[in-house]
Amino acid sequence: MTDIRTESNAMDLIASSSAAAKNRRRNERIRNIGIGFAGFLTLVLVWKLSVNYFNVPSYILPAPEQVVVALWSGLAVPVTSPLGWYLPLWSTMANALAGFLIGALLGLFFGSLMAEFRPVETALMPYAFALQSLPKVAIAPLIVIWCGFGDGSKVAMAALLAFFPMMVNSFAGMRAAEVERIELMKVLSASRLETYRLVKLPSAAPYIFAGLDMGIVYALLGTIVAEFLGAQEGMGVAITKAQAVTDVAGVFAALVVLGVTGILLHLIVRWVERSIVHWADRGKH
Amino acid sequence: MTIAIEAPAGAMIAGEQAQSRRSPLIAVKDVVKVYPTVAGDAVLALDHVNLDIESGEFVCLVGPSGCGKTTLLRLLAGLDTSDAGTSSLAGKALNGPSPEVGVVFQQANLLPWFTVMQNVLLPLSVGGARKSEQLITQIQALLRVAGLEGFENKYPYELSGGMQQRASIVRALARDPKLLLMDEPFGALDALTRERMNAELQRIWMASGKTVVLITHSIEEAIFLGDRIVVMSPRPGRIVRELKVDLPRPRVSTEMLGNPVHTALAREIRMLLE
Repeated sequence: MTDIRTESNAMDLIASSSAAAKNRRRNERIRNIGIGFAGFLTLVLVWKLSVNYFNVPSYILPAPEQVVVALWSGLAVPVTSPLGWYLPLWSTMANALAGFLIGALLGLFFGSLMAEFRPVETALMPYAFALQSLPKVAIAPLIVIWCGFGDGSKVAMAALLAFFPMMVNSFAGMRAAEVERIELMKVLSASRLETYRLVKLPSAAPYIFAGLDMGIVYALLGTIVAEFLGAQEGMGVAITKAQAVTDVAGVFAALVVLGVTGILLHLIVRWVERSIVHWADRGKH
Repeated sequence: MTIAIEAPAGAMIAGEQAQSRRSPLIAVKDVVKVYPTVAGDAVLALDHVNLDIESGEFVCLVGPSGCGKTTLLRLLAGLDTSDAGTSSLAGKALNGPSPEVGVVFQQANLLPWFTVMQNVLLPLSVGGARKSEQLITQIQALLRVAGLEGFENKYPYELSGGMQQRASIVRALARDPKLLLMDEPFGALDALTRERMNAELQRIWMASGKTVVLITHSIEEAIFLGDRIVVMSPRPGRIVRELKVDLPRPRVSTEMLGNPVHTALAREIRMLLE
């Protein structure tokens, strides 16, 4: 069985070349971070210089350092202080995540039903597209009427916005499952549920994660919109309060906090994706 | 080669057939298959095909592209149904997938989210199959024979194409089926790997005693592996000739070159395919 030794030598080669590729990827990542950082510095510099040069009043566009001060004043307080970012951010995050979970699960459920049963697809698809093309943020006032000014309407908005990318993506992903794999399950007399669980759901995983990635950011957006329409707490309320006293630096600082939160959530989803869907994008045979 | 075989291949058929007149493992009788086309008319894919396959036999199906080889194999796998005629496996009518049939696809078709072990155990965890100790021991032995020992916990993308296809053969044998159907299993591999895979398939087959039906485009492969070669005509698919391959086993590829039986068979098949 000399051939096996040859193949394990080949495996060594594959391992070393994949190590080289990993190195290359790391260098590329460092370079990309460098480019990003340089771009950010340029932006701040241009911002600072133009505020000074054109003498822009701070209630129109505050200078970068004023935003930093506003940001810091909300960070350098105890976690439970009503002046800090922590309480409103926690409230927004909790509602956004709750809505995200509900919306994502419902989206996966209906997407799966549509992919699995043609009549369900025929019945639901027109409504799905109609609702999808509707600016969902415009539904927010209705949601507030139905669910009140409390957390209910924030969770509902987050769920509504997270639902669609998840439904559409899980539907598309399951329909894209390879015919050969489904035939394999057929040859093995697998039940419909077994084929769904072992082939269709994993096949759709890359699509589902793309949906989750969009969904989590949309959920955050949905919560903020609901908060704008009259809530007692949350980042949306913090922004409205700062705006009411023309504390534009405060508005900017809140936006920075939200932006960073969005990026972190996106990175978490990508990280989970990489550890679960590690087999995607590798050469398939 | 100690056995000199000078007689033309055709002369072997009569004598061999007389001794195996028991009921065959597979009996395909007057099978017709028609496919509708997008344009609305129908294409006759199989035209009254008759084929008997004995238990333990290695049968190779050769024929030009689109001659209905794959259609015939899909009927045997239970993935399609015929429009006329009957086919049976071990005396029972074939009208759906059977646990007695293992299928190897053109691509290895391993599930990329499972390890090699999870992939080869898949047939035992779905379709109401039972996971017996005996079958699992047998699968471990097969993995060893297939040179996959030590790779059980690797993912398919970490394996070479040849190793993936060997894993898929082990998977097809997992339920210990009577019949193994292979649709151009080595078509995607390079010539050298393919030759090695042929030798390994021969070894696995000789050790397991399964009945094998293998589709191939390669005349070399058909002669190297088959007990019998079934040559099909272009569409509509008909069986034009069945040839016995009277070469001793285990066959060795280097000894095949220049062997008169091999040469005569190769010439005959080539002429039939033209």
